[in-house]
Amino acid sequence: MRQDDLYINKIDWISILIYVALVTIGWFNIYAAVFDEQNAKSIFDLSINSGQQLVRIGAALIMILLIMVADYRLFDNLSLILYGIFILLLAVTPFIGKEVNGQILTVGFGSIRIQPAEFAKFATALALAKFMERPSFDLSQVKYQLQALAIIMVPVILIMLQPDTGTAMVYFAFFIMLYREGMPQRYYVLALTLIAVSLLALGIENNLYLAFAILAVITILILLGKKSFTRIISFIVIGILMIGYTYSLDYAVSKLPQHQQNRIMVLFNPDLDPLGVGWNVTQSKIAIGSGGFLGKGYLEGTQTKFDFVPEQHTDFIFCTLGEEFGWVGSFVVILLFCTLLIRLVIMAERQKTRFSRVYGYCVVSILLFHFAINIAMTIGLFPVVGIPLPFFSYGGSSLWAFTILLFIFIKLDSHRVQMLGRMK
Amino acid sequence: MNIKQSIVLRVRVAFIVVTLFAGLIFYRVAHLQFVEGEKWQAKSESLNFQYRQVSATRGNIYAADGSLLSTSLPFYRVVIDPLVAKQEVFDKGIDSLSYLLSSFYRDKSADAYKRSIKDARVSGKRYLILNRKQIGYQEMQAMSNWPIFRNGRLGGGVIFEKVEKRYRPFNNLASRTVGFLNEDKYGVGVEYSFNEYLEGKNGKALFQRIAGGSWKPVFDAEDVKPDDGFDVYTTLDVNIQDVAESALLRQLMSKDAEYGSVIVMEVATGKIKAIANLQKNKSGYGYSENYNFAVGDQGLTEPGSTFKLLSMLALLEEGKINLNEKIETGDGTFRFFDRTMRDAKQGGYGEITIKEAFEKSSNVAVSRLVNEHFGHQPKKFMSYIEKAGLNQPIGFQLKGEGAPYFKNPDERNWYGTTLPWMSIGYETKLTPLHTLMLYNAVANGGKMVKPMIVEGIAKANKIEKRFDTEVLRKSIASAKTIRQLQELLEGVVENGTAKNVHNKDYKIAGKTGTAQKLIDGRYTQRYYTSFAGYFPADNPKYSAIVVIDSPKGFNAYGGDISAPVFKEIADKIYSQDLEINVKSQPKFQFANLKTDEFPYIQAGKVDELQMLCNKFGISNHYNDGGEAWVKSTVVNKAIQWKANKVEAPTMPDVSGLSLRDALYVLENKGLRVVYQGKGRVKNQSINPGATISQNSVISLVLG
Repeated sequence: MRQDDLYINKIDWISILIYVALVTIGWFNIYAAVFDEQNAKSIFDLSINSGQQLVRIGAALIMILLIMVADYRLFDNLSLILYGIFILLLAVTPFIGKEVNGQILTVGFGSIRIQPAEFAKFATALALAKFMERPSFDLSQVKYQLQALAIIMVPVILIMLQPDTGTAMVYFAFFIMLYREGMPQRYYVLALTLIAVSLLALGIENNLYLAFAILAVITILILLGKKSFTRIISFIVIGILMIGYTYSLDYAVSKLPQHQQNRIMVLFNPDLDPLGVGWNVTQSKIAIGSGGFLGKGYLEGTQTKFDFVPEQHTDFIFCTLGEEFGWVGSFVVILLFCTLLIRLVIMAERQKTRFSRVYGYCVVSILLFHFAINIAMTIGLFPVVGIPLPFFSYGGSSLWAFTILLFIFIKLDSHRVQMLGRMK
Repeated sequence: MNIKQSIVLRVRVAFIVVTLFAGLIFYRVAHLQFVEGEKWQAKSESLNFQYRQVSATRGNIYAADGSLLSTSLPFYRVVIDPLVAKQEVFDKGIDSLSYLLSSFYRDKSADAYKRSIKDARVSGKRYLILNRKQIGYQEMQAMSNWPIFRNGRLGGGVIFEKVEKRYRPFNNLASRTVGFLNEDKYGVGVEYSFNEYLEGKNGKALFQRIAGGSWKPVFDAEDVKPDDGFDVYTTLDVNIQDVAESALLRQLMSKDAEYGSVIVMEVATGKIKAIANLQKNKSGYGYSENYNFAVGDQGLTEPGSTFKLLSMLALLEEGKINLNEKIETGDGTFRFFDRTMRDAKQGGYGEITIKEAFEKSSNVAVSRLVNEHFGHQPKKFMSYIEKAGLNQPIGFQLKGEGAPYFKNPDERNWYGTTLPWMSIGYETKLTPLHTLMLYNAVANGGKMVKPMIVEGIAKANKIEKRFDTEVLRKSIASAKTIRQLQELLEGVVENGTAKNVHNKDYKIAGKTGTAQKLIDGRYTQRYYTSFAGYFPADNPKYSAIVVIDSPKGFNAYGGDISAPVFKEIADKIYSQDLEINVKSQPKFQFANLKTDEFPYIQAGKVDELQMLCNKFGISNHYNDGGEAWVKSTVVNKAIQWKANKVEAPTMPDVSGLSLRDALYVLENKGLRVVYQGKGRVKNQSINPGATISQNSVISLVLG
């Protein structure tokens, strides 16, 4: 009994409150997205999305209870088994799953269907935590780097096969955690440079300008640092490779499927086709842009009704918020997310075991990635990738997966004083 | 840098990244809302608010008695957005939906429907027209309960697109005259000719775009309300039209003719009461209204002997002849230059009076007379045509009127034979309407009125425009001439080529016509038969023309083919039109009953009558059985009930029924009943077995 009292007192209520707030606001927004003045139905009506979402929220609460009463050691012990189960599920999804719009994402029986790709996130997080818990694990060594990479890449490859690029991308968020855990900085510098160069290569029509810019940056870097022979040579090689890369990128993009190509191009020029490919983004921007400071008021939005913005109640739920609650509403929600993320970082840092710290950082990474990418795409900062806004978006799998992901960490956190593991 | 420092640094970097990103998003949202706010607002309005047309409701077309001839009804086209339905809903409902669609439209198998919907769902097609066939409101209601469809537009993706469609309550009755209008605003008949009134003015209103690409109206001061179309009131009489069509159809079928037309016109006013046009279907079976031969271009033909009326008019007006004057027609042939004029009768009529010549339709006599008196002054003859208003289009209310064709004496194609042949209705082209106009003028004492088919245009109770009878010529000839012409036309029916339509109840006056058809420049053995005239001859009320083209069979003369149709129509009109037959009522009984005989119970419902008889101990038998309504006959001292099929779609025999029963039976058939007297029905103004048209009036005499 003493032990139970102990851990109830240690539960992090701040993050739970934020969770409750986000889920509640999300639920009201889902109702707003389907609200029809002419045919008003109760928010509880099971024939509309908000009613169905309420049922799912109820299910999520049951999951939370189960997690909270379970033994905290269970997650450590089950981590690899869970990982194995979900990898297996992902592997068989294309064969036993159901096809919707050319993608096979869900498995299940009858009306209960889940997306294994959503649940595999926390399983992968647990597996990473389990692996990295080992005392010998050292991210500065290539061997361990490759192990971590393998754990992440297996689900990524399987999800790419479904194909669901958006969800697969989410797994790269684990590199944020790896960064905290000591992955060498140079990889990130290289990756960020590559991303920057890629964006510039796609955004700038004439690659020649970009080539000159790269040459200039390389020259400055060479002049600033030590003038050793190997360093100069390696910078020159990197420079040449980058210029080659910019030129080959345009070719590579042209080989992408048309809808992905369009999504990329629209990012740079949204007016390219405001009613076609840019439709989602244009509509979303119209919705947010027309919200103003205080918004139009709850259920008063005109742009975000029904499926006017496609995927309104799932991936584009943020624009309902922007339209009906304006800048203030967006501010509050973004603030809630940031608070939650920072709170989670603080919680992760106070862990006594590497297992729970790594897991905590995984939670932060995934939530940050989802939050950043989802909102960035609704306001036209990022290409449209179909990933949900955590706790907000309509849909059972994503809500449940995020809830499990978050609450396993809250559970682990509440037992932090009991877990005396090896720290590094 | 030691490991501890490095980690602190990395955590700070993570903090900074989160904060930076959040800041970027704040900035971006603020930028969207404040800096670009107006731009997006404007864009939203231009994309999602639009002035859209609000269609005006098209006006109705009415018959003279107020029956609807054409109106607009909503119809629906069924479209589905196959992506809307949720997977569960879709999987559960698709099989039964496909089955229902297939059994409803009967054009594709259930599998084919299922495949097309599923394919569209997979390929992301958001607008699939399930069937182009438009369905009615009731059907739409029923369909909305089908699986998937019952989830509505937002849940099932079904879209019922409303289209206003013209609906003719009387189906094909006068369909060519009522006409139509296609999407290019081209058409025929009243629909086309009066489109400017019927169509109204479309309004516009601000609409907001809502789910699934549909638009909902929003209030806006700039709205322009649609101005609904005017109603057009025609002069058509549904009953007469019906009679004309059925009489014509019967004759066309029995003679296997190519086409036929009937026009019935009110003598004094020129109001057209009926225009029927029936043409043999391309398939060779059955007839339908495909072209308005009575009025249009294709109805222009050489009129034949009906034109002789004009020749007589010219001759009489010139004062050159006397009707009792004798003329030698010889052996029925006469040579004009290189052509031989022939009479229909082999061997000719010999010496006959001019009146007889007209009655027998002697080509030789008429052409010789005309040639003799006008051969040297053809222009004089042409001036009579002009005076009778036959040489130019009437300016009829329906567009597409055929213009008459006459040769000009000054031109090179005017030969010596032109005038003689023109005098008997060749080498000239007229529409039946033109010919009728001439006969109507004769019936009207010389006053030529313009035929009209639309008498008014109104909206609700406000009359927009009223068309009055237009007098084209106060008098086309002297009163004396007109009287003589009337005498001639009556003679045709009494003694001449149309003797077969002579009857003792009322007098018909008219002229037969049989023209050989000119095909590819040669006269063939195919005939264009006609009968134009009016009735009752003593006090003309209606004029009419019947033309039947290319009848098959031995007697292909106007008197045999067209005149009987005329008579059938005239009979029916005469029996229905209380105004003209009120004096002759006693003569016109269909089912006169002998009221002095036993039993007084004559007709009624069998169960009631049986009960009555049994009560009084009268022996009665009912052998036919089945039918609820009976008539009684007396066999020896007993009553024999005979079935009275009042349930049939034709006019029932109500004689002998009590007024209560008669009203029940007749009003159930949609008839309006007027009655006089007391007791049981003695006679009825519409013959038993006649076709019933809704809302027609039947008058009963009780006694």
